[in-house]
Amino acid sequence: MVDKKIRKNVENIIEGLSMNPSPESVVILDEVGTNSAIDDVRELTSCALVKRNEHESLSVVIVNKGKGINDMSTFVAMSTINELLALDDKSTAIKILEDTVEMHSDEEVRDNARSVKALMSLS
Amino acid sequence: MQPYDILISVNTNMKGYKMANLSISGISQRIFNTTKHENTVARSTNPFAASSFKGNVLTADVFESSVKNNQPAFTGKTKLMAAALVGNISNLGSRINAGIESVVAFGNRMKESVVNIWNRIDSIKLEDSVKSLFEPGIINKNTIAKMQPEQLSDVKMLLNDNIAKWSESLAA
Repeated sequence: MVDKKIRKNVENIIEGLSMNPSPESVVILDEVGTNSAIDDVRELTSCALVKRNEHESLSVVIVNKGKGINDMSTFVAMSTINELLALDDKSTAIKILEDTVEMHSDEEVRDNARSVKALMSLS
Repeated sequence: MQPYDILISVNTNMKGYKMANLSISGISQRIFNTTKHENTVARSTNPFAASSFKGNVLTADVFESSVKNNQPAFTGKTKLMAAALVGNISNLGSRINAGIESVVAFGNRMKESVVNIWNRIDSIKLEDSVKSLFEPGIINKNTIAKMQPEQLSDVKMLLNDNIAKWSESLAA
């Protein structure tokens, strides 16, 4: 069982970085958070990047294989999709999904992007 | 011939009746001299006469106190003072009522204020940053959110350290 204080510190660092306007914070989240071996850390990082609702942060969780909606963990992928569906302004996310469906080299990533785009169009 | 002579003669001729003191003067006195009876027998339509006042009707003057004559008369300045006193006494009830109403209104206002304050306190959600101030060793996310880009390298190290601790706690 993970210590509550450690979990809270990780949550606060990830949320603080997602609120920080510097592009460097997105890089840190991408390098450290989405590459973590812990599912909870990847899930927290992916949701924080989606909440930021910027092109760079959304690209991390939509385009990259093994991250965000393409994560091997269903828990992380579904949490990221739920966060995308909860966005008030979905225009940036839909644009990235359309570009991914049209131009990405990996078929699995394209399929995932197509499915998520269909869900966001219906919501 | 007098009328009472006839009456006496009729009465004396009736059988079975015994009459005492049948002298003419005694009978005539009993019949016609009513002053004696009026002194002893109540003759009044007052229904309470037999039990209470023997036919004497009470008047309002009966209960007049003899002390009344000793009371000072209200004249001049004392009359004004008395009028002021009476005015104050007559206003006393309304003033007490007004005071009670104001106390009740004040109580209601205080109650509403307390309820409003309580509702506001209940509705306010303490932000995590405020809560974290009271928890030792908890990193403040708002502090990180306001950091400059050159300071973020430290945050990266901090994140790595905490993730490593998390991994260690899972492995243990």
